[in-house]
Amino acid sequence: MKFPVTDTAILARRTEIVAALSRLVPDGVVSEPAGLAAYDGDALSAYRQAPLVCVLPKTKEDVSAVLRFAERENIPIVPRGAGTSLSGGALPRADGILIGLGRMNRILDIDYENRCVVVEPGVTNLAVTRAVEKRGFYYAPDPSSQIACTVGGNVAENAGGIHCLKYGLTTHNLMGVEIVLPSGEPVRLGGKAFGAGGLDLLGVVAGSEGLLGVVVEATLRILPKPPVTRTLIAAFRAVPDAGTCVANVIAAGIVPAAMEFMDRRCIEAVEAYCAPGYPADADALLLVELDGLQSEVSEAVMRVGDIARDAGAHAIVEARGEAERAKLWAGRKAAFPATGRLAPDMLCMDGTIPRRALPAVLSRIAEMSEEFGLGFCNVFHAGDGNLHPLIIFDVMKGNELERAEAFGAAILKLCVEVGGVLSGEHGIGVEKRDLMPTMFAEADLAQQGRLKCAFDAKGLLNPGKVFPTLSACIEQGHMHVKGGRLPYPNLPRL
Amino acid sequence: MIVSPHDENELSEAVRAAANDGHAFDIAGRGTKSGLGRPVEASHRLDLSALSGILKYEPDELVITVRAATPIAEIETVLRDKNQCLGFEPADWSALYGGAAKIAKIGGVLSADACGSARLRYGAARDHLLGFRAVNGSGEVYKAGGRVVKNVTGFDLPKLVCGAMGTLGPLTEVTLRLVPRARECAALAVKNVGAEAGLALLRRIWSSPLEPSGLAYLPRMAAQSFAELGDVGDGVVLIRIDGAPAPLADKIGLLQTSLDGGDALLLPATNEAFARIASGGAFADRNDTVWRVFVPPAQAACCARELASPFWLADWAGGVLWVAGCCAEDVHAAAERAQGHAVLMRADPETRSTVSVFAPQSPAREALNRRVKDAFDPLWLFNPGRMFEGV
Repeated sequence: MKFPVTDTAILARRTEIVAALSRLVPDGVVSEPAGLAAYDGDALSAYRQAPLVCVLPKTKEDVSAVLRFAERENIPIVPRGAGTSLSGGALPRADGILIGLGRMNRILDIDYENRCVVVEPGVTNLAVTRAVEKRGFYYAPDPSSQIACTVGGNVAENAGGIHCLKYGLTTHNLMGVEIVLPSGEPVRLGGKAFGAGGLDLLGVVAGSEGLLGVVVEATLRILPKPPVTRTLIAAFRAVPDAGTCVANVIAAGIVPAAMEFMDRRCIEAVEAYCAPGYPADADALLLVELDGLQSEVSEAVMRVGDIARDAGAHAIVEARGEAERAKLWAGRKAAFPATGRLAPDMLCMDGTIPRRALPAVLSRIAEMSEEFGLGFCNVFHAGDGNLHPLIIFDVMKGNELERAEAFGAAILKLCVEVGGVLSGEHGIGVEKRDLMPTMFAEADLAQQGRLKCAFDAKGLLNPGKVFPTLSACIEQGHMHVKGGRLPYPNLPRL
Repeated sequence: MIVSPHDENELSEAVRAAANDGHAFDIAGRGTKSGLGRPVEASHRLDLSALSGILKYEPDELVITVRAATPIAEIETVLRDKNQCLGFEPADWSALYGGAAKIAKIGGVLSADACGSARLRYGAARDHLLGFRAVNGSGEVYKAGGRVVKNVTGFDLPKLVCGAMGTLGPLTEVTLRLVPRARECAALAVKNVGAEAGLALLRRIWSSPLEPSGLAYLPRMAAQSFAELGDVGDGVVLIRIDGAPAPLADKIGLLQTSLDGGDALLLPATNEAFARIASGGAFADRNDTVWRVFVPPAQAACCARELASPFWLADWAGGVLWVAGCCAEDVHAAAERAQGHAVLMRADPETRSTVSVFAPQSPAREALNRRVKDAFDPLWLFNPGRMFEGV
C-alpha cells in the first residue's frame, strides 16, 4: 500500500488549524506528539501514521462544526470509532484531521415496544446487548472485537460476526442513522419505522467505510433471545469433507445460528493454547450452533448430525450445559492468538466464496501453500463462506514477507475467480484497496466514485480508502502480526 | 414512442441515443405499477420485457441470477421445485391498480420494494438483492454487489436501487438471496379484538421467540373484504407462523397459552388472507385514495386513530398501515408525528402530480437525493419526477 501524497501546505498551517479546532471543541483537541501516538493507526498494525491533529467531539453539533471547518479549509477528515478496523479504515493521514467519536457514547433511548435502541456512535457493540438483555433481548451483530468496537464503526464497516449467518450483518439490523455530511449538514436516514422513506440512502451508508458521512446516531433493531441454544462439534479426517458438510447443511435448508471451521494446524494451536478438548485425530472441525424453540432446535441438531456423518464425520460431540458450550467456543475464539504463537509473523485474510466452492478452494489453498513455501491455517465463518486464512511466516527470513503477500493476494484473487468477493466483513480500507480492480471493472468503480461525489464533492472524507489510486503499486491484503504481538491482544479475533 | 431493446447492448445504445437528443424514458416492464409514484413526463417508453430469463440458479447455494424482466411467477415456480422462495414475499399489487395478476417482473418488484407480510421476519426486497447489472444515464453498463451473502466490497448499491422506482436507471440482471421454504405454515385468527388491544397483541407476539412470518390486524370494516373470516366482531388479529410439523405444533401451543391465559380462541385462517393484505386486494373494490403509512409499531394505534379513516388495516405487527381516503397533508403530518413516513399507493394522476406521493424530505436530504440522482442519471433520462420533483 502506498501512502497518499501529503499536502505540505496543510502541514504548514498546522498551528492555525489546531487553534481553530480548539475554539470549536475546546476540551477535545489532541495535538501533542505523545497524545497523537495513541491514534496513529488501527488494528491493521502494519501501517502507522500519526494524524495532523485529533479532535474528540462530544455532540452532533461539534461534529458538524469540525466538518464545516474542514470543508471550508480543504482539510481531509478521517473518522475513527475504537480503532479496531482490520482493513485500515481508520488509518490517519499526516495532512488530515482525525475525528474520534469515542466520547459520544450515550445510549439515548431503549424502546422495547418498538424493539429498537438509539445510540450515539461511540457506544460499544456489546453495550447494546448489555443494556437490553435483562428484558430478554439482544443486538445480533457480534464482531469478535465487540467488547471494544463501537456502533459507528460497525455501521461504517457493515460489521458481521459469528451469528450473522442467521441474523444478518449490521445493515440488516440497522433501522436508521443520522449522519453529518462533509459540508457539516446533518441528515437523518430511516428511524424506528420500517423502510427508508425515499431513496434508501441508509443502505449505502452502511458499509461505506466512512467515505460518505460521519455517523452521529444509530437506531438498532433488537431481537428476542432464543429460548434454546445448542452447540455441536463435528470432526472430519479430511478437510474437503467438512466443506461438503457445510454446503449440504445450507442446501438442506437448515440455517444454523453459527457454523465455524477450523483446520488441523489451528486445532493443534488452540489445544496447546487453552485445551478446549476437541475430538482427536481431526483434520477439520465444524462448530455448529443452533438456536430457537426447543423442538425446532432438537430437530435441527438431529439433521445436522446426520448430514455430518454422511459427509464423513468420525466424531460428533455436543456440549452438555453452558460451561461446556463456553469451552467449545473458547477454543474457536482463541484461534487467532493461538495461531499467532506458531510463527513470528502472520497475515490474516478475509474473503467470501460461494459455499459449495469450499472443498475446492480449501484444496487449492493447500496447494498454494506448497507453491509459496509457507505455512497457513484456516479458521473461518464457514456457514456464509467467509474465509479467514492465516498465513504464517517470518519477516526476518529472506523474502518470506513478499512471498506471504503474494500468497495472500493469490487467495483473494482465487475468491473472486470462483464467484466470491474481496471482503466478507473486514472491509476494503487501505488493505485491499489495490485489489478492487480484480473484482470491478473501470465502469463499476467509476459509478461508485460518482456516488461518493454526491455525498462528498471535495473528496475530503476518508480519502485514500476503498478505491485504488492511479499510482497504486503494490498488491497486498492482510493484517500483519509482528512477533505474535497482536493489536488489541485481549480481543478475540475473527 | 416505445423502445424495446432485446438485450443489454441494445439498451445501452438506446440510452446513449436518448442522451444525445435529450429525451426521457418512462421505464416499464409490464406497467403493473404505473399507478404508483408521480406521473412521469417522458416522450419515450422503455419496454424491457425482452430482458427475461433465469440465468443461473444454484439451489445448494440459495442464490439465483435472473434477467431483470423475468416474471416473478416464473421465478417462484422454479424455486418451489427446490423448496425455496424469495423471503420478502413479493407483493402483487395488480388488484390495486386494476391490471392483470401474476405478470409482475422481478425488476419492478425490487424497484418498488414490494414486500409481503413475511417482510417482518425475513426483511425487505433490499435485504435479498445481493448484486445487479444496470445501465446508467450515460448508457454505460455497470455491476455492483456480488453473488455471495456476506460482502463488504465497495458501496452497497443493491440496497440503493431497491425502492428507487427506476429513477437511478434500468436494472438488467439481478442476483437474489433465497430462503428455504417453510415445510408447513399455519395461519391463525383471534377474533373480536379492538384496534388498540389487537395491535398490542401483535407486538407481544412480534417480541416473542415464535418468529412469526405474518402479523396483521383487520378492523371490522376492512375484515368485510375477507369473507372467509366470517363475523370478526370488533376486529381480527391474523398470525402466521411456520416450521417443520412438530415444531410448528409446539409454536401453536405456545401461542395459545400466551393468549390471555389461554382463553382467547385461536381459529384457523388462510394464507390467502395474508396475500390479499400485502396486495392491497382489500381496497380493490373501492375507488378512493390508498396510503401506506410506515410507523414504529407502537405508534400504529395512535396514528390510525388520528387519521380516522373508516377503512384501514395493519400489517408487519403494526409497522405498516394501509389506509383509505385521507388527504396528503394529514397523512404526511400524522406519519411524521409518529416518526414514520407515508407513500400514496393509489390516486388519480392529477392528485399524484400535485401532492407528495413519497414522504416530504428535509432540505438537506432533498439536495442529497438530487445529487445521488445526478450520480447515476445526470441528464434525468429515467423516470424523471417519479419519486420527487426532480428525482
